[in-house]
Amino acid sequence: MKNNRRNKMMRYARIIAMALVSTFISGVACAQWKPSKPIDLVVHTGPGGGSDVLARSIAVMLEKEKLLPVRLQVVNKTGGNAAVAAAYLADKKGDTNTIGLITSVWIATPLTSSEAKVTLRDLTPIARLVLEPAVFAVRADSPFKTMHDFIEAARANPGKLKQSGGSLTSRDSIMRQALQQHTGTKWAFVSFQGGGERVAALLGGHVDMMIIEPQEAGEHIRAGKMRVLAQIAEKPLPNYPGVPTLKEAGYDVTVPPQIRAVVAPSGVPKEVVAYWEELFSKLHNTASWHKYVADNQLEEGFLTGAELPKSIDRIEDELRTQFQHAGVATVR
Amino acid sequence: MDVINGLMQGFAVAMTPTALAMCFIGVLLGTVVGVLPGLGPPATIAMLLPLTFKMEPTGAMIMLAGIYYGAKYGGSTTSILLNVPGESASVVTCLDGYQMARNGRAGPALGISAIASFIAGTFGVVALMLVAPPLAKLSLAFSSPEYFALMVLGLAMVVLLAGESLTKAILAMLVGLWIASMGTDLFSATSRFTFGMTNLLGGIDFVVVAIGIFAVGEVMANMESSEPAEMLPLPKGLRNLMPTWQDMKDCRFAFVNGSVLGFLIGVLPGAGSTIASFLSYGVEKAVSKHPEKFGTGVIEGVAAPEGANNAETGGALVPLLTLGIPGSGTTAILLAALVLWGFKPGPLFIEESPAMFWGLVASMYIGNVMLLILNLPLVSVFAQLLKLPGYAMYPLILGVSMIGVYTASSSLFDLGLLTLFGLMGYAMRKLHFPTGPLVLGLVLGDGMEKALRQSLMMSQGDIAILWQRPIPAVLLAIAVLLLVVPLFKKFNAMRVQVIDQEA
Repeated sequence: MKNNRRNKMMRYARIIAMALVSTFISGVACAQWKPSKPIDLVVHTGPGGGSDVLARSIAVMLEKEKLLPVRLQVVNKTGGNAAVAAAYLADKKGDTNTIGLITSVWIATPLTSSEAKVTLRDLTPIARLVLEPAVFAVRADSPFKTMHDFIEAARANPGKLKQSGGSLTSRDSIMRQALQQHTGTKWAFVSFQGGGERVAALLGGHVDMMIIEPQEAGEHIRAGKMRVLAQIAEKPLPNYPGVPTLKEAGYDVTVPPQIRAVVAPSGVPKEVVAYWEELFSKLHNTASWHKYVADNQLEEGFLTGAELPKSIDRIEDELRTQFQHAGVATVR
Repeated sequence: MDVINGLMQGFAVAMTPTALAMCFIGVLLGTVVGVLPGLGPPATIAMLLPLTFKMEPTGAMIMLAGIYYGAKYGGSTTSILLNVPGESASVVTCLDGYQMARNGRAGPALGISAIASFIAGTFGVVALMLVAPPLAKLSLAFSSPEYFALMVLGLAMVVLLAGESLTKAILAMLVGLWIASMGTDLFSATSRFTFGMTNLLGGIDFVVVAIGIFAVGEVMANMESSEPAEMLPLPKGLRNLMPTWQDMKDCRFAFVNGSVLGFLIGVLPGAGSTIASFLSYGVEKAVSKHPEKFGTGVIEGVAAPEGANNAETGGALVPLLTLGIPGSGTTAILLAALVLWGFKPGPLFIEESPAMFWGLVASMYIGNVMLLILNLPLVSVFAQLLKLPGYAMYPLILGVSMIGVYTASSSLFDLGLLTLFGLMGYAMRKLHFPTGPLVLGLVLGDGMEKALRQSLMMSQGDIAILWQRPIPAVLLAIAVLLLVVPLFKKFNAMRVQVIDQEA
């Protein structure tokens, strides 16, 4: 009898001891992971490109708000519409000092290019930061005063009007496909490598319309050279009060949004992912971030956690459907 | 007058001690960046951007601009001494510059390079100051059909780079065009000639090909000679280190050619300094009294392209500052910098931020003078490099090449490509294929194909757009003349020969 009671006590003591020890160990493991080496932020554009500028601004903001104990440096890996950058990030499996700044092109490219083998499922999404709205712009002296004018002119002259934009898988191209299908019209698309060339083509009268970021268009509108017909945005843009959204203009067309998000390579431990999520969550609450978003006319769209991969999958499915409707060959 | 007032205001801003210091730092950094192959102004400016937020914007812009045009001065150094192009625009300088170094005239080559850069750089700033807004508007009339015609004209220059065999030159050019097509097509997002490799999805970097074929190929070709490698003859005495008055006289037209052509091409968004230097070289050869000597070490062949790539920086600032449209990689990042500092580059920029615009213009005058003073004495320093015997020189060239390529891409794959192109360069030398046309095809091929397809998209597939518009029609006509006239000359010579034989 006495032995049984002692055994029971020993058992309880052992259990309590093990519980204490395991709490202690997991407590140590859950102690905040902090980066100790400089962090590489990989972008798919060259210096001066959209992602590059955002990445460098993020580095400046993190330093200003003292959110990161180490330096953040930007690594440019251009080529293949983000395929080269994605492959680079995929090679860094388990690396805790590298993260990437992505846009929707990272989702679109693997759908159409068989060599672009790395999809976002092979990487670890951390947080979506912003959404990028856009506007339809024409020259100030063009005869089109509303979106309706443009669409009707396109209907009357199929294939005659021209839009300048990026590659076939870019948002401008996808929007054009969706709008053409919705309205039963047709107009030509001329691809230019750089934003400057696209604007020059519009201002010089070589094309009739382009889809442009609101911040880029701002100066040209102020100088009286461009007019905006409609906006593509989830919420109405504050700097364009009189401009209808596409839906308000009578064309209920949606395309997958242009997102900017942060990802990490696969195989990165949970604490590290938690650290990144917290870092960017803190960043998006700072005043510098709010100012940056307002100055650049972006849309806040912070999203992290389990909803993020689902949202990315949704974008991928929508893009695949759009490409197939447009007759673009999809390989995945 | 507005311009005089603006300029006075600009000098007031640019002559402060801080601004002068910024200018000096910028041009010094620029020269270093230009000398080192692989590291270019866009990457350097991007790296310095965070630092500039702590500085006053005008001073920061003066420094960044100094890096931009300073790099064009430095790029010729390794081109002339080592046949390694320091910058893509310096490739053309390798053609005659390196030959001049082999003839013992490295000093005058370096010297004329600095002088031509100064003249053209200053011309570029003057033109930027006087004609920027109206010229910017004119440049908007230039679109894809015009670009295509300009590039065809550039390719027609292959005739002038041909040397003995036109067939071999055209073959080399076609290989260059093929290499240019590798990568991901812009219009259809399909991949071309990537052989299933992800590394080739971005195409092959121009720097890798140029350094491989020129520098590494040259080293390999020299390795096989069984005699001990001769040192390149060292210029003796200070007089031989500088260009002579006769040299300066010979280059009179080259200075004008480089300045004007370089500036005009710089104004066109999308056309780069490499195209400017090729066209300027071609024009110089076309009007020369001794065209057959080009490629053997003719001083005008160094002055014209070097001037062109400097005037091009002034030209590239025109669309940036008057329209807010960036024409090239470096101007794109300068635009981003201006926006980040809170400026509004666009058509209203000059009116709204006169201190920045005129301060920048004034600083460019000062910067060009600083660069001339910096570079001329450095000629004798750099020329000492030629004292190295072959067994030290060639490893140095290989080392500089590899470090340059790795700096640019951080990719061992690119080093492999460098070796491959080195072997190709060696083979070309053995088989007497000229290397210039290959580089020409590579530089122009990409832009030319895009311009043609954009033109056809604009005209719904009607190729007549190319001669219905005035500018392409004229340029294409000149290109046709360039290609056809040598044939006439040949026929004429044959005719004369036949007549002589019959007589």
